[in-house]
Amino acid sequence: MPSDVLVANGLRKRFRGVQAVDGIDLRVGAGERVGLLGPNGAGKTTTLLMLLGVITPDEGSVTILGNVLPKQRTKAMMDVGFAAGYLPLTERLRVHEFLRMYAEIYGIAAPDPLIEAGLDRFRIAHLADRLGTELSSGQRTLVGIVKATLHRPRLLVLDEPTNALDPDVASRVRTGLLDLCRDEGIALLVTSHNMIEVERVCERVVFVSRGRVVANGSPADVATQFERDDLEGVFLHLAEDHE
Amino acid sequence: MTAIPHAERRDSSVLRIKAIARRHWFVMVRSPHRLFDVTIWPLVDVLLFGSIATFFLRAEGTDVGRAAFGYLLAGILLWHVVYQSQISLSTGFLEETWSRNLLNLMVTPMREWEYIAGVVVLGLLKLVLGVGAVALLALLAFAFDVTDLGLTLVPIAAVLLMTGWVIALFVIGLVLRFGAGAEALAWGILFVVMPLSGVFYPVDALPGLLQPIARLLPTTHAFIAARSVLDGGGVPWGRLGVAAVAAVVLAMLAVAWVAAMLRLFRTRGYVTRYS
Repeated sequence: MPSDVLVANGLRKRFRGVQAVDGIDLRVGAGERVGLLGPNGAGKTTTLLMLLGVITPDEGSVTILGNVLPKQRTKAMMDVGFAAGYLPLTERLRVHEFLRMYAEIYGIAAPDPLIEAGLDRFRIAHLADRLGTELSSGQRTLVGIVKATLHRPRLLVLDEPTNALDPDVASRVRTGLLDLCRDEGIALLVTSHNMIEVERVCERVVFVSRGRVVANGSPADVATQFERDDLEGVFLHLAEDHE
Repeated sequence: MTAIPHAERRDSSVLRIKAIARRHWFVMVRSPHRLFDVTIWPLVDVLLFGSIATFFLRAEGTDVGRAAFGYLLAGILLWHVVYQSQISLSTGFLEETWSRNLLNLMVTPMREWEYIAGVVVLGLLKLVLGVGAVALLALLAFAFDVTDLGLTLVPIAAVLLMTGWVIALFVIGLVLRFGAGAEALAWGILFVVMPLSGVFYPVDALPGLLQPIARLLPTTHAFIAARSVLDGGGVPWGRLGVAAVAAVVLAMLAVAWVAAMLRLFRTRGYVTRYS
């Protein structure tokens, strides 16, 4: 069993003459919580989508739990969960129907106890019979995270999970994620623009700027490397540099 | 904090196909306007063409009138096999783009063929509902029984069904490549295929330039076969064989086309259009 759940080497991607990602290497260890950070246009989302096999890299390789993409994508994705704060829930489905659909896609034939436990974990069991369109953005995000963790993935990938959430809901998401990773040994790869949140959730951060990794270490080490007080300072420094 | 119960998981295509079929079932029953494609428009078509057919029958009262009556009603009923199979598959995929669900699906272990199979399964149910409704209306309102075609109906319907899926795959490929701008083709392309297929008339009635194109379509041969049976000419197995071979060749081309467009979709990162 490999100790790294995710290994990406030399990822490069060019769109219409613009080098979006320029040689990114990334590793996520089992149970590790990693933040992928950077200003808008730094190449985070493109990197994330290449890691998930949705975008094909021009160069480089992605291996998830020993499965090389794209050839072993189905096997790799059995152990990956994904949620994004900006994605809506599938329309015309009630929450429990939506979760059942994804549980079955991940090969769970009898998902009801898992759905119940997942909703309980994030204290949203009362939403089970609601249509996706009737939920607030915070509730949708929580349901999206339940969907991403139903099958007990070894790697959970979250793109802007607390984007546009109220502080109390964002706090509930953070607490739920930390408990989940601790209890289940799930590795986490998360992007966020909220540096305070990243400092609370992530053990390690990888800063990306102009498609390259410019820092990789614990939040404190990265802040020290850039001679800033915290990640917020590093982010602002890199954002200025990016413009 | 609630612990997650143990999850028994298996790499099951059947479960995935079932999940997608059920998802599209909910789309159908919770979107009344979708039933227009399944029943209302087909019924309107039968009413329109059935009335025209009846007019011909009464005005002519001859063999020509009787033939026109049969051609028009059999034509429109069988055309709805193409229509339902095409519309259900292409709009099933479009549903994922409208609800920005593509990214959610693409990061799962689901294989592309499993997704298509799930939409097709629900599409077959829509086909039974839609074609069943038009066949019943044709029988009740115009005393036209499509089962008079006998067992020949089975291979003819199979060719038409496969052709509908082929057209849908072509549309899906275009949407993958060109995005929302190509959506209108889901409905519009049928208006091109229908006259070229000689649904109501022999191919000889088409302008000369179009006749070679028409003869390349499996639908053309399927409708010729149907008219031959209506005319009492027996089952034209040779003609049905040509239709089946053409349908299989087009199906292989359609699969290759969608696979190429999907590769391009992944290479160019078009998923960001829907996220």
